Amino acid sequence: MTSITLRKRRFEFTPGTIFWFGLIGLLLFIGIVSALIVFKEGLVVTNLTNTVPWGLWITIDLSSIALGAGAFTLSAVVYIFGIQRFRSIIRLAVLVGVAGYTSALLTLVMDIGRPDRFWHPWVYWNVHSVLWEITWCITLYLTIMLVEFAPVIVESRFFNNRPGLRRFGHQLHKVAPFLAVAGLLISLLHQSSLGATYGIIKARPIWFKPSMPIMFIVSAIAVGPAVTMAVAYILEWVSGKRTVAHELLRTIARFSGLGLLVYAYIKFWDLLAVTYYGATPGSELAFRTLNLFTPYGFGFWVGEVFFGILLPVLIFLLPRFNRKPALLVFGALSAAAGILINRWNVTVSGLIVPVSYSPGTEYMLPPQAYTPALIEWGVALGVIGYIFLVFTLASRFLPIFETSEETQKLS
Amino acid sequence: MKRPKTRARVNLDRRDFTKIAATAAGSSLAAYLVTTGPLSPFANLKQQQLSLNDDTHGPVSGPHWGMAIDLNKCIGCEYCQRACSAVNDVAPDKPWNIVVEDRTANGQKFYFSRPCLHCQHAPCVEVCPVKATYVREDGIVIMDYDRCIGCRYCEVACPYDARKFNWEERTDENPYVPTWGVPEVDRRPRGVVEKCTFCVHRIDAALERGQTPGEAREATPACVNVCPVAARTFGDLNDPDSPVSEVLARYPTIRLRDELGTQGSVYYIPAGEEPTP
Repeated sequence: MTSITLRKRRFEFTPGTIFWFGLIGLLLFIGIVSALIVFKEGLVVTNLTNTVPWGLWITIDLSSIALGAGAFTLSAVVYIFGIQRFRSIIRLAVLVGVAGYTSALLTLVMDIGRPDRFWHPWVYWNVHSVLWEITWCITLYLTIMLVEFAPVIVESRFFNNRPGLRRFGHQLHKVAPFLAVAGLLISLLHQSSLGATYGIIKARPIWFKPSMPIMFIVSAIAVGPAVTMAVAYILEWVSGKRTVAHELLRTIARFSGLGLLVYAYIKFWDLLAVTYYGATPGSELAFRTLNLFTPYGFGFWVGEVFFGILLPVLIFLLPRFNRKPALLVFGALSAAAGILINRWNVTVSGLIVPVSYSPGTEYMLPPQAYTPALIEWGVALGVIGYIFLVFTLASRFLPIFETSEETQKLS
Repeated sequence: MKRPKTRARVNLDRRDFTKIAATAAGSSLAAYLVTTGPLSPFANLKQQQLSLNDDTHGPVSGPHWGMAIDLNKCIGCEYCQRACSAVNDVAPDKPWNIVVEDRTANGQKFYFSRPCLHCQHAPCVEVCPVKATYVREDGIVIMDYDRCIGCRYCEVACPYDARKFNWEERTDENPYVPTWGVPEVDRRPRGVVEKCTFCVHRIDAALERGQTPGEAREATPACVNVCPVAARTFGDLNDPDSPVSEVLARYPTIRLRDELGTQGSVYYIPAGEEPTP
């Protein structure tokens, strides 16, 4: 009974909450104004060009989907591998997934030239296109996550006097194992296809390699759960209630650390194969251009390798560090930043090296430059505001830290 | 301590064996039926894939429109770019045809021009999530501007930089009209990708009138007609008597980045030491 009275507590205006909601309001305002300008004027207001047609927004899409990967990883752990002690974090993981995937879709709608035709991939199929497959997978997987999350919503106090709906929600919960299997397959497919989006482009030598989808999925599996772990700690600090056992969160951190080691291993051989042993004329020229004219070499070693892999691996795996929640959260944020920097590097570095096609001669465009326009940052801030809003509302109004069985007993 | 040896015994009577055999046979039959067999929802796709792998893909019967560009003849006047921009009402800063100065490996200067190459294995066509761009029966790669969602993946995938995106609603005056021609097609709306069409509107209209593209001027791409040194020839690659086939028969030609397997429809006579006789 106590938990019900706790959930019914009144909303209070403290300086902290006023500041927090003010911040969310400001971010959303900036985002909405930027979005309206983009819809009105067209993508010409961005700094994207015909040589660099993808930029910050695609980076956000790729990163938020990768960082939402905790949902399918932890669902698989509980429902497929049957490790029940992770059950208490499933709902949070799915919430992180929903937040990540919906922000990706929001950004994607901004990024396409004809947002009014967003539904075309569902109707006009090109089964050869990885982007078509990704669109379908994301749609299906978002649906799966919403079905998985539906019991949480019907258990909230808004539905206290709708027992029929609540029963339906619990019925839905029974299909969770099947959803987890479908979700696992679909997620494995589209998380790697996001890498394949680049990996199959034979026109661009530094993208065209079979390791691309593998690196994308391994990094997503490694870092996604760590992000869920960090969100659990942060919500605990904010609400002052211990919600998920620290030992469990520490296990997730260790899992992420091992995952990052696998990622580092694949990345090491990829780097060696492409730049040292491979060094085909195309990739040699592309890397020389990048190293001479751009900071992408620095971004790789410092952003992806040091902050994205080394630092979090040490924090997650060394016992002297991984007992400190603050360090674990820092490690997860560092790893998440590594994902963001990696997705940015992959996208932009591949595009700013111009394609070379002139017959056996020196014709080569100068390397292009791309820095996001203010309006692109504006949309990005709006997405961050949206994510803050989702977590604030969900942690305040939804029973995300209880398992279905507990709430059934209570009600 | 020594572990006692365990012996596994398998009891299989005839009935079990029949069951297992029947299940195995049944599953393989079912697998065949739903993957490549008559029950498969992907049967057409499989056929399509097979025909894509076929090297002689492209128009088997009927014309395959193609072009030859003689880099020895080209003088870099950019007339092709201007006529193209006028006829197709292309934005001046995003030309479909480009002309650039270039040098061969031993330093000889030449001019390099490039329309869309109309690949038969077009990377842009493969990646489009909505089939807004496709290879026609006659080999021409065109856009469906009503279907394109503007994701720009085709632009990223094209090895030849041949695609341009409409970043804004166009209100500009076309500086090449009317000096270099008058627009024969509508401007493309904001938010879609556009590209060279081999002046497909001329080809389709001319065929109905019974004219031969590549020979009749009204049926030939504007860039070919306007070239003052006849560096470009156009016609049916499947017809040995067409102007383009005659050029291909007489001179050694290359295709751009042929190693990518894109199977373009545009052939180049490379710039050499001696001008083409």
